[in-house]
Order: sequence, then C-alpha cells, then structure tokens
Amino acid sequence: MKDAIKIRILQGDPVIHDVKNASLPKLFRGLPVIEDKPCLTGCTSCAEICPTNAIKLNPVSIDIGLCVFCPLCEEACPEKLIHFTNDYNTASEVREKLIVTNKTKSITPEKASEKIRNYFGRSLKLRQISAGGCNGCELELNALGNVNFDMGRYGIEFVASPRHADGIVITGPITENMSKAVEICFDAVPNPKIIILVGTCAISCGIFKNSTKLQRKFLNENKIDLFIPGCPPHPLTFINGLLDWLDK
Amino acid sequence: MKLIEVQNNQMFKIDDIRFTGKEEFRDTIAELMLNGSRLISLTPVDPDNPKKIFAALTDKNFSVIYLSGCDFNGSALEYESFANDFPQTNYFECELAENYGIMPLNHPWLRPVRKQNVIMGNIPYHFFQLKGEEVHEVAVGPIHAGVIEPGHFRFQCHGELVYNLEINLGYQHRGVEKLFLQLNSDQRIILSESIAGDTALGHAFAHCHAIESLSNIQLSLRAKVIRTVAAEIERVAMHLSGLGGIANDVGFALPSASYGRLRTLAINSLALICGSRFGRGLFVYGGVRYDIDNEIKNSVMENLNTILNDVRQVNDYMFSSVGALSRFEETGIVSKDLAQSIGLVGLAARSSGLEEDVRINFPYSAYRYNPVSMITLSTGDVFARARLRALEIDETLRFIIEQLENLPEGEIKAGSGKTVPGSAVISMIEGWRGEIVHSVFTDSEGKLMNYKIKDPSFNNWYGLSLALRETGISDFPLCNKSFDLSYAGHDL
Ligand code: SF4
Ligand code: SF4
Repeated sequence: MKDAIKIRILQGDPVIHDVKNASLPKLFRGLPVIEDKPCLTGCTSCAEICPTNAIKLNPVSIDIGLCVFCPLCEEACPEKLIHFTNDYNTASEVREKLIVTNKTKSITPEKASEKIRNYFGRSLKLRQISAGGCNGCELELNALGNVNFDMGRYGIEFVASPRHADGIVITGPITENMSKAVEICFDAVPNPKIIILVGTCAISCGIFKNSTKLQRKFLNENKIDLFIPGCPPHPLTFINGLLDWLDK
Repeated sequence: MKLIEVQNNQMFKIDDIRFTGKEEFRDTIAELMLNGSRLISLTPVDPDNPKKIFAALTDKNFSVIYLSGCDFNGSALEYESFANDFPQTNYFECELAENYGIMPLNHPWLRPVRKQNVIMGNIPYHFFQLKGEEVHEVAVGPIHAGVIEPGHFRFQCHGELVYNLEINLGYQHRGVEKLFLQLNSDQRIILSESIAGDTALGHAFAHCHAIESLSNIQLSLRAKVIRTVAAEIERVAMHLSGLGGIANDVGFALPSASYGRLRTLAINSLALICGSRFGRGLFVYGGVRYDIDNEIKNSVMENLNTILNDVRQVNDYMFSSVGALSRFEETGIVSKDLAQSIGLVGLAARSSGLEEDVRINFPYSAYRYNPVSMITLSTGDVFARARLRALEIDETLRFIIEQLENLPEGEIKAGSGKTVPGSAVISMIEGWRGEIVHSVFTDSEGKLMNYKIKDPSFNNWYGLSLALRETGISDFPLCNKSFDLSYAGHDL
C-alpha cells in the first residue's frame, strides 16, 4: 500500500486540463501558413518536391488531406513563404476546407447538425478500424486514453463491439484485404452512425497513392462526417476536432 | 567456395554472388545453418525474373553475412525445402512460394503469408484443424477488440488449453516493397517511416543505411550520434508502452498509467528534437534534418532523467507484486532451443537466452564507437519479456544520456550521391522489437531493382504461436502483448 501511494505521488497531475490551449513544441508541424506574397516568377520548387502532390500553384495551396508534414516544401521555397506552425487545430467536417491557401488563418470544423449533437453530444462511442494503418495513427488514438489526454472525461471513448458504437474511425488507406471487414463492421453499427477518417492515409492514401493493393470503394459510397489530418494526427487534433464539432 | 562474406551495410557487386545449381546451393546453405547461421533474406535478385534466388545468412559469432545464390537454369522453379531440418527457414520459403511461385518441395506446412485461404496462387488453403471430443475452435479477427492492427487468429483448444494457434496475416498489405521501386528518393524515406509506424526510426535507419552504402555517402559522427539517440528514444518509448500494455492486461492500473505517462515524456522528447512524436522527418540521406542544440538537449535530458528516476520505482512496484508475477511467470514459454530452431530475433530471443542483438553482433553507426551491453534472460516466458524491457530501458537511458552529454562536433548532413549500378547491400538494424533487414539491389543503371524488407515480426509471429501451446486461452492477450509484434511490418 505504501508503495502504491508512493507511485501515485510520483504520478503527480499529468492531465492536460485545458486541451484547447495546450501548446506543442516549436518544431511540431501542424497547420501550414502560406504568406500572402508573390512567388518568384516561374518557381515551382515546392510543388515539384512534394512527395504526395499536395501543392497546387498560382496561387500556392497545400492540401493537408494529402500532406504528410515532411516538411520538404518549407525547405524548398526560396522565398520562405511556407511555414508550418504548431497549431494542432486542423480537423474539418468537409474535405475542401483542408486546402490551405494564403487566406487560411485557422481550420475548425463547423458545428454538427442539431440532430447529431442531440444524439452524440453527451456520449460518443467509437469503433476504430485499422485498414492498412502503419500503427502510427493507432498509437496516437490509443494515447487519447492515457492519463495525459484522458478523452473519456468528455464522454468520447473507443469500444470493442461495433454494436455498442455510434460510429467508426478509420485509419490507413484501406487495403484490399481489409475492405470487406470495414463494410461488415460499419453495417454492424446501429443507425444513426458517423464516419471519421484519421490520418493522411485514410483521407487520401498519402504516400501509398500508387499502391495497387488498396480498395477505397467504401469511402465513395458513404458520407464522411469528419476528417482528422496528420501523419499521424496529434491526439490534440483529434480531441479538439471532436469537441468543436460536437460544440462541447 | 560457393560463398562470399560481407559485413553489415557493406556494398557488394551482384556479379560477385556465386549462383550455383540447386544441389550445391542446398549443401552450402544447409552446412551454414548446421554451423549455427541464421537466414535473414531469401529473395530473387530480380523480382521480374525470378529464375535466380539469393540467400543471406548471418553468423553472429564472426559478425559476417554469408551470401549465396541459386540459379534454376531453366529448370522448374522448385527446390527441396530446408524446413524439415531447419524450421527457421519455414516461413521464408512460404513467402518465396507466395510471391514468386517458387515451390519448396516437401515443405512441412506450406501456408499463406499475406493472402487468405490460398497458397501458390490458386491452391485452396484450410486452417489446421484438430478433431476429437471436447475440441473446439475459436476464431478472432481480423478486427480485434482494441485500437490495434488487424490479423486473424485461429485457436484449436481442448477445454481452456490451446493446442494450436494459427496466425493468418496480410490484412495490412499495402505493397510496400513494390512502392520502393517506383518512388523517388524523397518519397522513399517517408515510405520507410510508414512500414511500421511504431518503428518509424528503425526502418528509416535501415533504409538510409542501405541507400547511403549504395551511394558511398559517409556520415559525420555527430549525425550518427543524433540518429542513434533518436532510435534509442524510440526503444525506450515502445518498451514503456509495452510494459504499460502488459500491466493493463493483468488489470494492474497504477503501473499501467505510470508507464503511459512516462512514455509520453519519451515521445515528446522526439517531438522536441524533430517535431514528430515518432521521429518522422528526422532522417535524411547523409545524416539528419535537425540538429540538437543546447536548449533542446537540456529539455530532453530533463525528460529522460524523470523517466530514469520514476521508471525504476514503477518497475520495483510492478515486479514485486505477487499477483502480477503469478500471471507473468511460466506463462507463454519459448525455450532457448525452440527459439534458436525457429530463428527468433530481438527482444523475444534475448528473453529466451539467445544473444541476438544487431547493435552488438553487427555493430553499425555510433554503436561501433559507443557500445551498448547485451542483456539476456533465460526463462522465455511473459515475465522474461516484460523484465527484459525494464532492464533495457535502464541500459538504453544510460546510453542516450552519455551520448547527449558528449555530442561530438560536426556537420549533421553529408552531401548526396548516386546509387552504384549492379550492386546490393544488406542493411541490418536492431529496432526495439529486434532485427530489421533491408536487402536492396540496383540494376545496370543504378535504379533500385529489388527492395526486400524483413521486419523482426516476420520471425517472431511463429514464436507467439508456439508460446501459446498448452497455455490457457485466456492468457492470449497477455502473451500477445509480451511479444507486441507488428502487423504492418509483417504485411508490408
Ligand atoms: S510538408 Fe506536406 S505539402 Fe509540404 S512537401 Fe511535405 S507533404 Fe508536401
Ligand atoms: S497517416 Fe501516417 S501515421 Fe497514419 S497510418 Fe498513414 S502513414 Fe501511418
């Protein structure tokens, strides 16, 4: 008992109490900002070097649904117009909002419909499906349950059975071999239900774009409710995305 | 002499490999294995034209890698299986059969590696099944209860005891090896970080070594030290995560929560160094992208010292709990002989008493100058695999702190180079799970022609199967966690 108390005291108070205002290390690559200045004439450096073709030119835009936060473009730009900030608020309810331009100052998801907030606002149980995820996204989702992030305090939790879930969270680019399991699992979730895509792989395949072993039919046939970009997304991106979406 | 010898990360010419007929190949490989060598790579040289295969075996006592080749010379793509005499080759042969239709004759148990229900392209495969009274079957997966990767487990049980566990993977297969041949160099490093996201640094390390050797790039000592420091922080983080999971699986909440908190400090240290909690973006060809300045060093040191102090007390607490020990001890045993014969690697092998650690047996990068100690235990049970993590965290933290205190001066990135045509390299790294091997071959223009990856999980999944024999099925989650193997790394 004495030992247990000693360990408990060591533990201190590790909880991040204010998840909306926690700060991340300087080097953390979250929301990119693109300065509102003209590019060098004819320069295509950033778009050429981007490993996932996330960048469009004239004017420069970065699709953070494709981006793997590597940060080659930041290094390549001769005018230093691209800069990754440590702002972890990047979740969005629509795919288009993930395209960052020189006008983008922040990204937050629009509040979900009243119906969804009524259903899930107080308690949201999610079934996670790893469908080709490298275990990076999975580790960050697991971290949501640790003593630092403690997502359960907001009534959001991962559950074992799809029957107990209000929706699914997909990580990974959806491999051919997992495509059927994804469908069966989603079918087993009672209505109404939501779909959240976590990580660049799930949103756009990311670095696996050219793979011939993927089967993403499921995503075309179903409406996606929330996109959480990152490779992998920081736990704070996930929590804040959901809290904003559910207006909590 | 049918063999050539190379060292870890030493480039060699493909033309220097002696390709012999099947009989000679068989004798050469069998003799090596009789003398204690272990197979680490079995692949065609050119995947588009698999009529020549290549084998690499290690001899840890002499720190050498033996290379040998077999030319089918127009004859049928088949050879006499080694697996009846040397179980360690079993799964390698299954993989070769599945990927290239090269048939191991008289193989004891040809089974799918990344496919479901089919071998050799079109032969239906059925799970091994027991018959008899009171025998029952339990099927789990691909989707499991927690937030983890997918895989299918088939248990044949007699009452509570597991007779046989068959593990069928491949659900994570993304075609990584093929992608390596298509992508440009910037993309390849990112791909290497996504082979297994929990070992992003381990695989990036192996990938960069392979390419650097093939293009004659020399690194500064400072770059090497930063790389090994980061890779060792990954080890600490994942060992803490493993211990937390093990504590959780026996319902021991306090240590589980404590290990979780300490792991956060470890991965946050990686974020201080390079922005990513998993070390993504740190490795570039020729060195590292980010330097460690004094401010970062001090913050990282502070985190590491907290871990060092706290983890010892948490370990003492967990490993003196009679309740926890009774679950750990004599659960899921893999004996030393068994571990040796099936070719277990890394953490699991060391827990069974085998001296398997690439950092020591085939030293690379900064470990050549600043060695780490080999830690082994002998019982091969859950206890050993848990305890070994605790001991390695201590040793690893010592190593990291020493390195950070004595960071050598120098550039962090060397210039680039071109990959030499007609060459190959075997790159071995000790990831936190164990031995990672990247075998890379270039064509006559210097382009990558074959990229073969072996994650330690490829060796060790079979160890988990055998650990479950005669073990209560309710101990499966605990045994599984004690191995903590990668699905993505296996499935590629
Ligand atoms: S940081 Fe994102 S946008 Fe920039 S080069 Fe890398 S993947 Fe492309
Ligand atoms: S988005 Fe990145 S971390 Fe997540 S599964 Fe894909 S490669 Fe892994």
